[in-house]
Amino acid sequence: MFRLNRTSVAATLLAVFLVGLTGSDALAQARTKIKYALGDVVSIDELPLLIAVEQAKQRGVDVDVVSFKSEEVASQAVINGQADVGQGTPYAAVQKVNVPIRFFYQLSSLQFFPVVSVQHYKTWKDLDGQEIVVHARGSGTEAIMQLMAKEHGITYKNVSYVPGSNVRAIGLIKGTIKATILDAANKSYVMKEAPGKFAILPVGQVKASDEALFATKAFLDKNRQAVQIFVEELVKVNRAINANPQYVIDARKKLGLLKDLPPKLEAEIMPFFEEAAKGGVFPNDGGGERAAKNDLEFFKLSGALKGDNLKVEDFWELAPLRSALGNVK
Amino acid sequence: MRLDAVLAALRERRTASGARDVAASLPGTSAAFWQLASFVVFFGAWEIAGHWPVSPAFPPFSQTMTALAEMIADGSLAKAYLSTLQPLVIGIAICGIAGVGFGVAMGLSRNVEWLTLPVVIVLQAAPMAAIIPLITYVYGIGLTSKVLAVVFMAAPVVVMNSYKGIRNTHPSLVQMCRAFLGTRSQEVWKILLPHAAPMIFTGLRLGLAMGFIGVVIAELLITPTGVGDLITYHSSVANYAHMFAAVTSIIALAAVSMYGLERLERRLFPPKIRGL
Repeated sequence: MFRLNRTSVAATLLAVFLVGLTGSDALAQARTKIKYALGDVVSIDELPLLIAVEQAKQRGVDVDVVSFKSEEVASQAVINGQADVGQGTPYAAVQKVNVPIRFFYQLSSLQFFPVVSVQHYKTWKDLDGQEIVVHARGSGTEAIMQLMAKEHGITYKNVSYVPGSNVRAIGLIKGTIKATILDAANKSYVMKEAPGKFAILPVGQVKASDEALFATKAFLDKNRQAVQIFVEELVKVNRAINANPQYVIDARKKLGLLKDLPPKLEAEIMPFFEEAAKGGVFPNDGGGERAAKNDLEFFKLSGALKGDNLKVEDFWELAPLRSALGNVK
Repeated sequence: MRLDAVLAALRERRTASGARDVAASLPGTSAAFWQLASFVVFFGAWEIAGHWPVSPAFPPFSQTMTALAEMIADGSLAKAYLSTLQPLVIGIAICGIAGVGFGVAMGLSRNVEWLTLPVVIVLQAAPMAAIIPLITYVYGIGLTSKVLAVVFMAAPVVVMNSYKGIRNTHPSLVQMCRAFLGTRSQEVWKILLPHAAPMIFTGLRLGLAMGFIGVVIAELLITPTGVGDLITYHSSVANYAHMFAAVTSIIALAAVSMYGLERLERRLFPPKIRGL
């Protein structure tokens, strides 16, 4: 009796141990962790990302968003394998670094506004031979301004570099800058602070990426399922916002995101997403080949990309997005 | 007149023994060999690390030097330094005049010392990268802010060295001056300032080293101009070899300037004069 008991206890313990082992293994396989490098501080424009992260978590994909000082640092984190997915548009790095890195999703397209002081300029032609201020050498803001100069047959006397839309906005208001290019939030700030003093010049169809997601090819191949789930959630969020921007407010409340937001910034959420939805900033289809082609053209113009025969497949991995779009109705 | 003669005799004795010391401490061929060897080992390790690679974005030494040669040939490096040296030279000139002036005044007057010393100590302790955004709030993003960044970095060491140089003058020299019925003006110009000169010079040399740090921080954090622009631009378009070349060039310039000034300092103020 005693001997039988001892055997059965040992067998039971062994069984429990084995079940536990396989169970925890299965659990580990079910949950995938993605280290996400963001080259910015988390603010209201990251709300679609944060909502998608929460929804992906419910489907077994834990996306850990880490903020870095700049896009370059975030790109380096991905290149050196310290992060899995990065956010930004490091096309030059993708072209030049030996590690195969691919974009797989367009988070948002560029939305910038050339703002000029009406006291000095009213149209693009007035900027002929004048000084303009942009974000940085080789940046998207410079490329937009050069593209417009080409379109209107004008040349600038000088291009100065002042990083940060908020800094350039203050420069405009103080009168030290007369013509520059701002993001949506700072454009609204300038127009509200000094009504009638500034005008926005039309930019036409510039549809390059502002933020895209990228990862090493090895990571994308190894974690296809998790990446697809994450992309599906991102697409769903964008479609919901484009259908009704109020979705961001509701989802933020429901998921308890950015709880410490000051009331001033909280009030900006709705106008920001209304304008973004109207301007087609958040693509319904994740960008894909269309975004890739636009980006290659745009970043070649900006000087970031070199060479003539630029191929989409050398920069983008379209498979995860295609599979995700097939699953999202 | 008699005081001058005594001082001249003292100076002659010191200079002669100082010259002997310099001659005795001249580096021989073996020192030159080891200095050269340390460069070879360092650059060799860099070359290997670049090919290994430490990081896909880390270029080998040879690629960095090729990029440096390209930047020299196309004139972009010279253009950048023309812009970078502007705030550096203005800032160091301000420190040379106002910084030394304040330091000497602090050494000569207790009232000035009490008024100025806390400010200098606070500046010395303050982290520059945290102060720069404050400077831009007040002075904007132009040349003034960059000059101020250089001054804030360099001034404390210039002021403190000048102050300590005056304060550490050997009391027997001052007593001697008074014994020879020297006036206060003679005490300052013939005893205190010559005695403090080596320390003031050391302060200016170290101030220049801090100024290099200040100007690069300013160009990276305020607006990308000069070498700061080369670093940020080449980093943003993934020209890592060029970015490393720009960083290397500013380090080399700072190191060569420091070395040159140290040699000058040894020549002007031999160890005996410096009280070593």
